[in-house]
Amino acid sequence: MLPRFDLLRPTTVAEAVGCLSEESVPYCGGTELLLAMRAGLYRPSALVDIKRVPELRGIRLRDGVLSIGAATSHRVVALDALVRGQLPMLATVEQGVGNARVRAQGSVGGNLCFAEPKSDLATALVAYEASVSLTSAGGTREVLVSELIQGAYFADKEPDELLVSIEIPLPGDHDAVYLKYQTMERPTVGVAVMNDRSGRRCRVVVGAVGEVPVVWEGTDPSEVVPDEIAELVDPVVDLTGSARYKRHVTAVYVRRALRALEGSHPS
Amino acid sequence: MIEAVSFLPITLTVNGVEVTRVVEPRTLLADFVRDDLGLTGTKVSCRLQVCGACTVLVDDLPVSACTYLAVDADGADVRTVEGLSDGENLHPLQEAFVEKFALQCGFCTPGFLMMSKALATENPTADRAEIIEHLEGNICRCTGYRPIVEAVECALARMRKVPSE
Ligand SMILES: Cc1cc2nc3c(=O)[nH]c(=O)nc-3n(C[C@H](O)[C@H](O)[C@H](O)COP(=O)(O)OP(=O)(O)OC[C@H]3O[C@@H](n4cnc5c(N)ncnc54)[C@H](O)[C@@H]3O)c2cc1C
Ligand code: FES
Ligand code: FES
Repeated sequence: MLPRFDLLRPTTVAEAVGCLSEESVPYCGGTELLLAMRAGLYRPSALVDIKRVPELRGIRLRDGVLSIGAATSHRVVALDALVRGQLPMLATVEQGVGNARVRAQGSVGGNLCFAEPKSDLATALVAYEASVSLTSAGGTREVLVSELIQGAYFADKEPDELLVSIEIPLPGDHDAVYLKYQTMERPTVGVAVMNDRSGRRCRVVVGAVGEVPVVWEGTDPSEVVPDEIAELVDPVVDLTGSARYKRHVTAVYVRRALRALEGSHPS
Repeated sequence: MIEAVSFLPITLTVNGVEVTRVVEPRTLLADFVRDDLGLTGTKVSCRLQVCGACTVLVDDLPVSACTYLAVDADGADVRTVEGLSDGENLHPLQEAFVEKFALQCGFCTPGFLMMSKALATENPTADRAEIIEHLEGNICRCTGYRPIVEAVECALARMRKVPSE
């Protein structure tokens, strides 16, 4: 059984923000929060249910930026026509999160705020150079996802801040792939490669292996040396493997991702 | 100012029957249907959203009732394994599970059935690979999965022929 707590049900962002404090925390799908509470790791006195705030839901395209409301579920993102059309790699990533129940219940905002190191979403968003919009009573600030994710279970977010949306600048002419290796519920390694041909920029992001996603940047995929990227990562030793093993699968998956990238582009 | 509440009334439909109760926010949907409504078909095992034994449908979407607050089902249409058959005839999924020996101890079966029901609603033409992918989040310790996948394949094919089911 869960410990006792009170429930608040705001219907606007302003109301929701007004409810937040150290003791009164955002609650969306509960797929992480309720587990942490059941395990006794976390004991807020009240949950602020943000699912009834319409402003936090939905996917919009404005001025070349795709904006995803924080409370949008993985399932909705995976099936969304705009996402599939503009950012097919993100749709693939979202379709591969956890299982169909987690995808129906869990939100994109909850995934980032919990900062679970084995997040596929964070890795993909870092590859897209996405940012998030955080709102508190004091105002709103934009933070890059790469800066939001500070460490394992540690997001750069104050207790009175609400993640309102994820903002993804649409890349121009580009190819992107995401490959992961997974034997349990969450990935052992996730590799995103984003080749922005119009900007002559290529990014390789490796997630799940260490506490935070690691980024390599260059101008073209031909410059990527998988073994060098395997040296860049800082593996966490856990049930999914030793440091040596994780470096090895990192190199293998970077290599495979590069091959998939070539295959995704006909020329 | 939004008020913090320690108890609240909820009204939901469970297997077509409307129920109203006053619950604590911490009440889990699995405990609510099992202990309060006596619908013990829904099983609880891992409590981690990993095994799927507790799967129920909320507005046609599969959720892990072990980690889903009953208050979130307020206003929703909830379906448990007891609501799968029409009371007289087994649902095509249940029938196929029996025919293909897709269960042994049966503990995982309600979860697999409800998960498959969600698939039948969302993607009635799912092929074998899609069935396997969809059922990835459900664990069976007895059957080795192959009969389960075959049963779902068979049921989906039959349901396509008789779409009313
Ligand atoms: C079995 C299982 C498998 C999984 N597999 C994967 C996987 O393969 N890949 C992957 O990427 N993820 C995976 N996940 C993680 C999953 O994506 C997250 O659990 C989910 O998205 C969290 O969203 P939520 O709405 O349930 O968050 P909640 O549990 O409601 O909240 C999580 C945390 O974020 C805070 N929070 C939530 N929303 C906001 C907001 N808008 N603003 C500020 N703070 C907020 C809460 O206070 C809480 O601290 C898995 C999870 C489970 C349980
Ligand atoms: S008991 Fe809910 S998923 Fe295992
Ligand atoms: S039949 Fe025994 S766990 Fe599946």
